Amino acid sequence: MEILDKLVNVALIAATLRTTAPILLVALGGSFTTKAGIFNIGLEGQMLAGAFFAVLGSIWTGSALLGVACGVAAALAFALVFAVLVVSFRANEVVVGLALNILAGGMTISLMKAIFGTRGSIVGQGIVGLPKVQLPGARDLLGSWASLISGFTPMVYVAFIAVPLLVLFYNRTRLGLYIRVVGEKPEAAEALGISITRVRYTASLLCGLLAGLAGAHLSLGYITMFTENMSSGRGFMAVAILIFSNGDPLKVLAGCLLFGFADAFSLRLQTFGYPSYLVLTVPYVVALTALFALSYRARPRIIMETLASMQKLLSVDKNPGPDGKHPS
Amino acid sequence: MSNASGSSTPHNAGNNAAGANVAGPDVAGMAVALTGITKRFGAFIANDGIDLAVRRGEIHAIIGENGAGKTTLMNILFGLLQPDEGSIRLNDEETVVADPAVAIKAGLGMVHQHFKLVPSLSVADNVFLGMEIRRHGLIDHAAQIARTRELSERFGLRVDPTERVGLLSVGIEQRIEILKVLVRGARTIILDEPTAVLTPQESRELFQTLRSFVADGMTVIFISHHLEEVMEVSDTVTVLRNGRRVATRPTVELSKDELVRMMVGREVSFDRRPREPQHGDVILEVEQLWARDDRRLPALRDVNFTIRSGEVVGIAGVAGNGQTELAEVLSGLRPASHGVARLKGRNLATFSPAEIREAGLAHVPGDRMVRGVDRNASIAANMLMGRQHRAPWSRGGVLNWNAIGQNASKLIKDFDIRAQGSGDAVKRLSGGNIQKVVLAREFTNGADFLLIDQPTRGVDIGAQEAIHDEIMRQRAAGRAILLISVQLDELAALADRILVMFNGRIMGEVAGDDADEDRIGMMMAGVAVPEFAAEPA
Repeated sequence: MEILDKLVNVALIAATLRTTAPILLVALGGSFTTKAGIFNIGLEGQMLAGAFFAVLGSIWTGSALLGVACGVAAALAFALVFAVLVVSFRANEVVVGLALNILAGGMTISLMKAIFGTRGSIVGQGIVGLPKVQLPGARDLLGSWASLISGFTPMVYVAFIAVPLLVLFYNRTRLGLYIRVVGEKPEAAEALGISITRVRYTASLLCGLLAGLAGAHLSLGYITMFTENMSSGRGFMAVAILIFSNGDPLKVLAGCLLFGFADAFSLRLQTFGYPSYLVLTVPYVVALTALFALSYRARPRIIMETLASMQKLLSVDKNPGPDGKHPS
Repeated sequence: MSNASGSSTPHNAGNNAAGANVAGPDVAGMAVALTGITKRFGAFIANDGIDLAVRRGEIHAIIGENGAGKTTLMNILFGLLQPDEGSIRLNDEETVVADPAVAIKAGLGMVHQHFKLVPSLSVADNVFLGMEIRRHGLIDHAAQIARTRELSERFGLRVDPTERVGLLSVGIEQRIEILKVLVRGARTIILDEPTAVLTPQESRELFQTLRSFVADGMTVIFISHHLEEVMEVSDTVTVLRNGRRVATRPTVELSKDELVRMMVGREVSFDRRPREPQHGDVILEVEQLWARDDRRLPALRDVNFTIRSGEVVGIAGVAGNGQTELAEVLSGLRPASHGVARLKGRNLATFSPAEIREAGLAHVPGDRMVRGVDRNASIAANMLMGRQHRAPWSRGGVLNWNAIGQNASKLIKDFDIRAQGSGDAVKRLSGGNIQKVVLAREFTNGADFLLIDQPTRGVDIGAQEAIHDEIMRQRAAGRAILLISVQLDELAALADRILVMFNGRIMGEVAGDDADEDRIGMMMAGVAVPEFAAEPA
């Protein structure tokens, strides 16, 4: 029991919020493209580019905010290329997304080598990280629970505030409605004179914006450094969450919290001396289990349909000719 | 045609010369007036100098067979197609309807056959999609729901504005489409075959709604090929046939069989083909066959007939009276709800479509682009379909393209298919040549029973003759043939016996060499003709 108490406490919840934020931001970005009917597997690359250029911008300008702006601009550039290829030229979404992911991985490594002459990571070098936001009065009001709402870097707040804003966006604004219509029933949008191309471009760029913020958060907020491939699959995890949430902001939040919790929990376990290889698999095992559990609901129907069609086949096989005998 | 002189358009020369047809008192005061509308698609003339005048405040039905040009005409009126010739007046103003936006602005609204609704959105959201009511930049759902409710109550379009569209039936979806048109301020509403997807109850409710529109001073244009509903609901009927206007008459002056005769007509007349009498074995027996359509309504009611080897049995009827369902049941695509169909003594109900074909069915489907061919595949591949697992076309699961190509080239020659070669994609061919590809495949697979549905629909005259020749050759070769056609003259030219279908029943039988158009027309309109009722074969 003592161990459990040490494992699960306020600090774990705060850590969960911290680890959830980057994947939540990128998944919410992906929600725009998912709702607009684009399968965007390029989230990982947009996030990685955002992380790298945020560091670069922060070093060059000496300002964390301008660093974030640089990161967002880089992710937007990736999103624009994605939109041009996928929306205008109708290239395959998966191929383009994967290509851009590979490009982002390779590009950050070569630029790192060219600019800093190093491989692996950029630490120090004058990177200015995002400050932690201490909410005044939080400690007086909540005491030891204050760390649940105060002391995070700005993007954590942005990520969680974005969830209700997106709910409002999809339900109450014209653009949000049109994004849904374009994704769900493009013919209907076309018949009503809604430009599918314009809506999909907008959705792609909104996605780039949030993916860039997610990347900047990784390298300037979460930690203050850049390492090769530091998005480490968060973009892909976001894609998985998007598939089973269908881009609904609240379901995205739930999925991201689950993943964030597993991530924070595994970090916790590491400090207790469990083998790190095993511990690092925890988030992925949790995500896989959750995905399986969710898709299991759809299973009975598939099984039933399969059984029905097999039965039909079997009854036809058994069926005798006009002079045949019925097997008993 | 006293009205034609009032028009200032240069296309009066194209007017229908039949003096008996009165379009209306004057082109002035019309909600819609089309003059001399002609539309060509390549060599095919879909609309040929059509005049149409629709008075304000009437329900004007446009009736005709499939392919008569009804939908093309309405698409031109609504700006979805541009006419090659002719002019359009909307509310007494000469208008170039460049796109649907122009039509909507002029007070026109169109309810298409295929609905374009978003399943995850509410009814009200769908109704107002594209013209949302907004307050402070946000969509005002409450106001949209209130306005939708108000309109739906006023015109008897029963629907709950807050419900999600994905959960609703087709009939309610149609009401939503009508509401969409109303919200956009339409005063003239065009409905393209609105009852095709409705149950009888829903159709009755729709007709009440249409009457409430007219009571409100609106105008309704109603496209249909169902006689009864046209007789029931319309004030004026315009009949189209083969792209031309046959007549425009007040509904009260018309009887059902007059209407049928105008619809079916006798445009192209085929001569009856000479034939040897044949008395072969019974190949197909259909006994007390019942089946339901996609709406779960009875589409076949107690159908009985037999076909012998070397016999062509024709099925006549206005489209939508059960012919499609009959073809589907016989080819295994639709289950029968009662009764049996036997092919050479074997009950078809227990077979899959592939097994029925193995058992001796060849099927020339009514919609060749959907069920007849893969339009993107080559001629050779299309001619292979259904026998790819048989020698010499394949051995051990490996296709022998040499044999397939040679066979295709031979069939192209035998059936006089105009194509570059057997590797051509089918979609490059004309309609007639595509149909010949289907015939070449189906007629050469050695089947004893040929199920042929609308063999010459959309096919030019030359190819029609060739197809008829081929059907007669198959008859001479001892095949049993069921020929379903909406063209009476085609049946009269080919069939040994003609069965007339109406509302899922066989109304009666006529010998092919005694095909009296009037009697068949009466039976097609649902009038029983006792002395011609089906006799036991």
